[in-house]
Amino acid sequence: MMVAARHGRWTAVLLAPSVGLIGIFVLVPTVLTVWLSFHRWSTQTGFGDAAWIGLGNYQDLFGIGSVGRDFRQAMANTALYAALSIALLLPLSIGFGVLVHQARLRGAGVLRTVLFSTYMVPMIAVALVWSKLYSPSEGPLNQMLGWVGLGPSPFLSSPGTALVSIVFLNVWQQVGYFTVLVVAGLTQIPDPLYDAARIDGARPARLFRSITLPLLRRTLLFSGVIALINAVQVFEPVALITQGGPIGSTNVMTYHIRRVGIERAQGGLGSAMAVALLLALVVAVAAAFALARREPEA
Amino acid sequence: MGDIQLKEADVLAAVLLAMPRFGAAAEIAVSFLTHWPPETVARLKAAADRYQEVHPSVSVAIRAVPFGDLLTTLRSQAGRENGPTIAGIYDLWLPELARDGIIAEMPAAQAADVGANWPQAVAGAASVGGKPYGYPNEIDLYALIYNKRLFAEAGIAVPPKTWDELLAAADKLTARDGGRITRQGFGLINSWAAGVAHPFGSLLASNGGALIAEGKPALDSEAARQSFELIQTLIDRKLSDPTMATADANTTGPYLDNFVSGNTAMIIMANWWESALRAGMGDRFADIATAPIPVGPKGNGPHPVSYTWLTVVNAAAGEEERAEAWDFLAWLNGPQSGEGGASAMGGLLLAMGILPSRSSDIAAFADRLNTPFLKGYVDQLPAARPFPVVLGGQEFTEALQQHLEAMQYGQATAAEAQAAAQSDAVSILERAAQ
Repeated sequence: MMVAARHGRWTAVLLAPSVGLIGIFVLVPTVLTVWLSFHRWSTQTGFGDAAWIGLGNYQDLFGIGSVGRDFRQAMANTALYAALSIALLLPLSIGFGVLVHQARLRGAGVLRTVLFSTYMVPMIAVALVWSKLYSPSEGPLNQMLGWVGLGPSPFLSSPGTALVSIVFLNVWQQVGYFTVLVVAGLTQIPDPLYDAARIDGARPARLFRSITLPLLRRTLLFSGVIALINAVQVFEPVALITQGGPIGSTNVMTYHIRRVGIERAQGGLGSAMAVALLLALVVAVAAAFALARREPEA
Repeated sequence: MGDIQLKEADVLAAVLLAMPRFGAAAEIAVSFLTHWPPETVARLKAAADRYQEVHPSVSVAIRAVPFGDLLTTLRSQAGRENGPTIAGIYDLWLPELARDGIIAEMPAAQAADVGANWPQAVAGAASVGGKPYGYPNEIDLYALIYNKRLFAEAGIAVPPKTWDELLAAADKLTARDGGRITRQGFGLINSWAAGVAHPFGSLLASNGGALIAEGKPALDSEAARQSFELIQTLIDRKLSDPTMATADANTTGPYLDNFVSGNTAMIIMANWWESALRAGMGDRFADIATAPIPVGPKGNGPHPVSYTWLTVVNAAAGEEERAEAWDFLAWLNGPQSGEGGASAMGGLLLAMGILPSRSSDIAAFADRLNTPFLKGYVDQLPAARPFPVVLGGQEFTEALQQHLEAMQYGQATAAEAQAAAQSDAVSILERAAQ
């Protein structure tokens, strides 16, 4: 009994630093954000000046006014940005991963380095360079399109193409990181599985479909969740290049929360948006895990 | 014992004698937050160094952030004891900063200085509820900027004075390759709230209307309807291409590039654009001229929108620090700090092509303001209409931007954009007033 009590005390003592840090730096800000979301509060004033308005901020978010319209557009933009990023990043990272994992491929190490190097470039530099690449009049991308007889694309200057252009920028920067994750996953697949399948007459396509992909499931789930979280956090290219425009077509949630909560000083409303985004992210990640768990049974 | 007492007395006397010297040498640190470019920051630093020569107990540190980050920096740091002591702010931000007690009211001496030496409208834009909050420095207003070479090539002798003439000139100046506009007769701006709302407000005021009248949105007026329709006509007739009109966080980008490279013949922009045009165009800047805003069918003359920037002091700074900050600002904006009776602030503003607002600066710089580019602005100062400085003004501007951009890209008709802009403006200003 005494040993168990002493053991419990030691457990508490040893856990206290990490739990305490998590409490201070994660739980307290989260709880504070939730609390502020029920208040009218100017970001410029102390928390003591916050005025309780219940669900008022949430009613505005889902109402028909400009607040709700802009919030829903930002949420839709973020969802589209995340979906497109994941849809491009996962297949590309699998393709590149399989390519650089081939021991026989000459220059695989160089390719791996080149792919990962884009991830090490700060997003601020990536955004500035790509804004020039996308320049409608003098950008090299449009010059290259001209060489193959395609008309100039407005890229960032049109509401129809601006968000997709930022997705390409994001994919270019992050594909190396996800390729490394896939390569790590590929190294975990035992070679005898491939050998046995080959003896049974399986061709490369079948090997990929029946062994590689199923055994990469956990890696891909992890990659998908990380890609989703990264995508939801996109900020720099929007802040530096498009300012959320044109017509709010690149106004993603992080940028919108900053605009509302900080530039307009509407801290309560910004907090409600942050809570809504957090809930949406939790639901999306939970759905991804549920989907991954269900598929093997089917 | 007696010797020891004598020594203690000597030490005490030495300490007492040294104390005033310690007091004089104690440094009061004043920080100055601005969005100005490096060359202007260098001029401000030089002015601060001159001030420190005669005020050795004060140190003035200059900190610059990009325009796009200025408000965020202010919101997150101002109002704190260790925040910037002085900050340059856009007048639209003033009501919220004053309401939340972030910035200090001007002391009586400085308030009297502003009241006596600045035009009444400019001093008014630096006040909330009749209380002045800062020294107005730059004043910006809008004019039609056009490329004389392109006008000559199109056979147009004089800039347009009316909206009909504007459309006719834009028609002659626009060049197309198939269906694609290669040179737009008139350039709009998008992806930048002020860049969208200010030129529109200038057209509206030059058509006898206003964005906000007597504190209430006035976008449902007949003058506003015609102003929205003018934008739609420019788009429908393919005289303006919105994809050539985007701006980035540094208020540069394609809209500037296209004007600099001669792909835009006319645009409505502010006087501070001069330095960007000079830098981008070099010798070709001589092709550029300015003219009053074209007047609409219901207008009684050109009325460009104007806005001001002012320097304010952090209310949370220590009393001594605030006092030194106001003293420094009074000197910086006073006629003794610059050359020829001008203020140091006026000199550094003019170096950027920005109009100073102090009456004595306008007089002192009369010759330098008489350039072909700036004269078009200076002449319009008396007719300028200040952009409305109200609670919720930033959100109002951004909502108007959204609807005007929707029209630019064909996602809304003029009538739809007008109705939505008015509806949003009403709810935004009502909510802000709560």
